[in-house]
Amino acid sequence: MWRHAWYLARKDLLVEFRSRTAILSAVVFTVLVLMVFNFGRDPTAVAAVDLAPSILWVTFTFAAMLALNRAFQLELENQALDGLLLAPVSRSSIYLGKLIANLVFVATVEAVGLPLFALFFNVPILHVLGPLVAVIALATVGFVAVGTLFSAMTARTRFAELLLPVLLLPFMIPPLIWAVLATAALFAGRPLSEATGWLRLLAAFDIVFVMLAFVLFPATVNE
Amino acid sequence: MKLLQTGRWITAVGLVLLAGVYVRALAFTPVERFQGPAQKIYYVHVPSAVVSMMAMGLVGLAGILFLLLKDQRFDRFGEASAEVGTAFSVVMLTTGPIWAKPIWGTWWTWDARLTLTLFLFLLFLGYLLLRGAVTDPGLRARYSAVLGICGLVLLPFIHLSVYLFRTLHPQPIVLKPSAPSLPGEMLVTLLVSFLVFVLLYVGFVMQRYALSLLREEAAHA
Amino acid sequence: MPEGVPQNSAFMIAAYVVTAVILVGYAVILYRRTLKP
Repeated sequence: MWRHAWYLARKDLLVEFRSRTAILSAVVFTVLVLMVFNFGRDPTAVAAVDLAPSILWVTFTFAAMLALNRAFQLELENQALDGLLLAPVSRSSIYLGKLIANLVFVATVEAVGLPLFALFFNVPILHVLGPLVAVIALATVGFVAVGTLFSAMTARTRFAELLLPVLLLPFMIPPLIWAVLATAALFAGRPLSEATGWLRLLAAFDIVFVMLAFVLFPATVNE
Repeated sequence: MKLLQTGRWITAVGLVLLAGVYVRALAFTPVERFQGPAQKIYYVHVPSAVVSMMAMGLVGLAGILFLLLKDQRFDRFGEASAEVGTAFSVVMLTTGPIWAKPIWGTWWTWDARLTLTLFLFLLFLGYLLLRGAVTDPGLRARYSAVLGICGLVLLPFIHLSVYLFRTLHPQPIVLKPSAPSLPGEMLVTLLVSFLVFVLLYVGFVMQRYALSLLREEAAHA
Repeated sequence: MPEGVPQNSAFMIAAYVVTAVILVGYAVILYRRTLKP
């Protein structure tokens, strides 16, 4: 199962990184959202540091949404999904493959976004880099686990680009809340122990929803 | 159709009883000393909130049963429960702020349970939107089952997350394990109102379920 | 009414009216939809 999942993920990522259009668009989009935030606040009234956790997480939420929207759109062209379903791989490995590919994609965008965020808003992140990466990783797994499941459903509906955010955003709020609180604690230089509680909740969310999506995914593609 | 007729009767009885609840709440239940008459909003707000929660729980349960048994009836029930739940969550979302304004001094605040109710409403809407966006009936049933189950699992997480954020909502005072701290007459009014809301839910769901049946018949004819 | 009890019946009436409008309204909508499915 893992081998199949890995092959599928690699196939998706090869397509993604060879063409480079999607990943480049997502990165440019992230930069633009960061710029919008910079001009969307009154610099004399609100210090950048106070807004920093929100800016970071709203940007990542949008970027993840954009990435998830195209996860299954790709398969719909030329009925690639039907071909995939005919192949002798289990439905669950298809999910795992998609999940891994989406995680790598979103992680790449975040890896570019994070330094730019630190640069643009003058937030020192180096001294908290380890815990911050842990927060981002845990929250991203939660977002993407549910998002991959939902994008498999919305891809075959009308208004897919609109429906996915509408369905997905409520599911992004709990990890978002915890990630923002943990990030704020880290940026404010408070002791690490204050963030670990949020990290545990994030991990619990990830475990529950990865397992749930894994179990439910076959129901979204079986004919 | 028998189901439809029964549903209509139950709804009619429920609406008459709702008028009875109003009379009891307004004329025969004491006014709370500190909150004044506005406290009586409680008798419509709490039952509608409980019924909406219950409706979401049943949507999730119907989703699980549908995926296990592949029985169309669970899908129709899920659809009916979601739509009726939306109606009750609209009651909950409108009466909540009307109560909050005189008591808390603000229409809206990001209090834990208030946020939870908003989420509940948005989940219902998402569920109905998804149903509207899928044309193939088999696909629609499976997709909405998946979404219903996810919603059911999400609710405790939202509860946990917003609770840890901050809260000023009154703590549950009816289901406290020690003796309920609500005075007897108020408690009776609340429970009666709750039963009437459940009755209305049943009547509505029966009618909505019958409507799905009628539409399927029309589509086949 | 005893002293010190807040005078806010207007809010109570508003909430009760809103509840009735929504529930009766939904009942009417359902009735009409089942007449002509």
